Amino acid sequence: MTNPMEIPFFAAGAVAVIATLLAITRTIAVHALLYLIVSLLAVAVVFYTMGAPVVAALEVIIYAGAIVVLFVFVVMMMNLGAQDSETERKWLAWRAWIGPAVLSALLLFEVIYLVVRAPVSATIGSISTPKEIGLALYGPYLLGVELASMLLLGALVGACHVGRISRSGREVQQ
Amino acid sequence: MGCVHVISLLPLLIIAATSVVVLLAIAVRRNHAAAFGLTLAGLAAGICSTFFTPPNQATQLLLMDRYAFFFMGLLMAASLFIALLSYGYLAAREARREEFYVLLLVATLGAMTLTASSHFTSLFLGIEILSVALYGLIAYLRDRSLPLEAGIKYLVLAGSSSAFLAFGIALVYADLGVLDFATVAQRISSTQSGSALGLLIPGTVLILVGVGFKLALAPFHMWTPDVYEGAPAPVTAFVATVSKGGMFALLLRYFSLSGADRSPRLLLVLSIIAIASMLAGNLLALFSTNIKRILAYSSIAHMGYLLVAAEVSSRLGVGAGAFYLVAYFVMILGALGVVTLLSSGERDADRFEDYRGLFWRRPVLALIFTAMLLSLAGIPLTAGFLAKFYLVAAGADSHAWLLIFVLVVTSTIGLFYYLRVVGVMFHQPASERLVPEPLPRRTPAVSVVLVALSAFLIWFGVFPSPLLRLIQFAIGKIF
Repeated sequence: MTNPMEIPFFAAGAVAVIATLLAITRTIAVHALLYLIVSLLAVAVVFYTMGAPVVAALEVIIYAGAIVVLFVFVVMMMNLGAQDSETERKWLAWRAWIGPAVLSALLLFEVIYLVVRAPVSATIGSISTPKEIGLALYGPYLLGVELASMLLLGALVGACHVGRISRSGREVQQ
Repeated sequence: MGCVHVISLLPLLIIAATSVVVLLAIAVRRNHAAAFGLTLAGLAAGICSTFFTPPNQATQLLLMDRYAFFFMGLLMAASLFIALLSYGYLAAREARREEFYVLLLVATLGAMTLTASSHFTSLFLGIEILSVALYGLIAYLRDRSLPLEAGIKYLVLAGSSSAFLAFGIALVYADLGVLDFATVAQRISSTQSGSALGLLIPGTVLILVGVGFKLALAPFHMWTPDVYEGAPAPVTAFVATVSKGGMFALLLRYFSLSGADRSPRLLLVLSIIAIASMLAGNLLALFSTNIKRILAYSSIAHMGYLLVAAEVSSRLGVGAGAFYLVAYFVMILGALGVVTLLSSGERDADRFEDYRGLFWRRPVLALIFTAMLLSLAGIPLTAGFLAKFYLVAAGADSHAWLLIFVLVVTSTIGLFYYLRVVGVMFHQPASERLVPEPLPRRTPAVSVVLVALSAFLIWFGVFPSPLLRLIQFAIGKIF
């Protein structure tokens, strides 16, 4: 190992792979979502070790912070009633949360190690600052940003149309 | 990025603005005719703008040259025809019709971005815009099970192919450290023995997987028949023309940029894909009894033929490829236009029974369909024949004999299933069936489209020199 930063990189990568595999093999949606959050956090650590702290922060804020938490809320809100609280108690058995907790603890340990250990250096290239990223996005990649906005427009209109509940109910004719 | 660059983006700006205007019009008041009219006006303005917009490199992402303008014009013309086909089709089937045009415009924008891409970022964004809008378009008739199923299939497979593409781009970047095509080509040719990390070839092959999926080339073609069958007929026409056309224009540009320094290993992979596509498309179509599926298999075969042009990638090859693409657009739009016109409100006309004795019931429509199918088969006097002729000429010029041999043999196989459909149409029905069934809906727009496409078909097949001159003018800059 020429660069000691490579160890956290591979460790976080391994956590990401394990968490993703567990996420797609769980049969209960909430459990899968927990692993999905861990997977996204692990990817954030991967970005951090590669010298992209801004992307790492965005990954945590947008993916793990906003999108997946929204998923969890929606799934939780669908389970109301006494019978469901029983199910929920079953979901919160230690076997359900111990896996994500251990993986998250690994990541936490890694982040603490990375932050404490100064100076911070990147596995490859140099560390990109928010200023550099902003200059790139609104300079040479300006059209990319605009195209991405059209991508979101298309996705929004498509999802809005296909996901709308029709007045006559949701029966699908053959 | 200055004023000059913004002006050179005019066709893209017009289409993007039109999609937003249609969206705002829907927000103010839902009106099918208004949304339709705005879409047509926007597309027509976009086509006109390609004739006088000054070419320029607009940032490193988009190269707005005459080549891009030519293909943008072609894609917008195809979208215009598809919008005309959709109007009557949607009016008979779906309560909320207006969003269709927004999605159509956004998808067209994605395909247009591809034709101007000179950077992997714009390539990826273009493909994603196209795919995401297509999910909505394919599943647009959301009360029916077949379009929904097709939409989900396309969603899953396009998502995984995008993953391949992104990974391939990442490998190329890891190796070369640049993302714009010109520098990538330059780095490839300067390091003769290959790259520093040896990731270039794996990266390129992974990119080819993503591109091959979009074009439905042979090992990645599984989705095509199901999506063609399930999607509404005008959307099928869109998938077959605009989506593949944009991708193919990009492929031709990329190969002509990387020029003669391409590695023989990559050429071998391309040859195998081309041969497999030609064989798989034509052989699978033999066993199909559904018109939309036959057209899907035939489009796989046609993409295989087109790949011959991409492989040759001489000036002759690119010219032949562009001509073939124009002819293919005309033929497939015409064929699916007939399918759209014959479709009832219940389901699309994709079974053989729908066409049995069509000639005796609706002779003009049957003749148009026959002309389109004969052109797809490559019969002389049609655009399809000349397109294949130029392709063979370009191939012979570069001594790609094996590819030409497979092309000729598989075209002969193809003749069989096209003629089978033609035979069904001329089949004399029992006397009680002679009573013509009324068309589901009076659709003058579709008739105009079909007549115009037939005129193009014969015009390009008999007197191709104006189109050839236009193509030579368009590709003049990239060689």
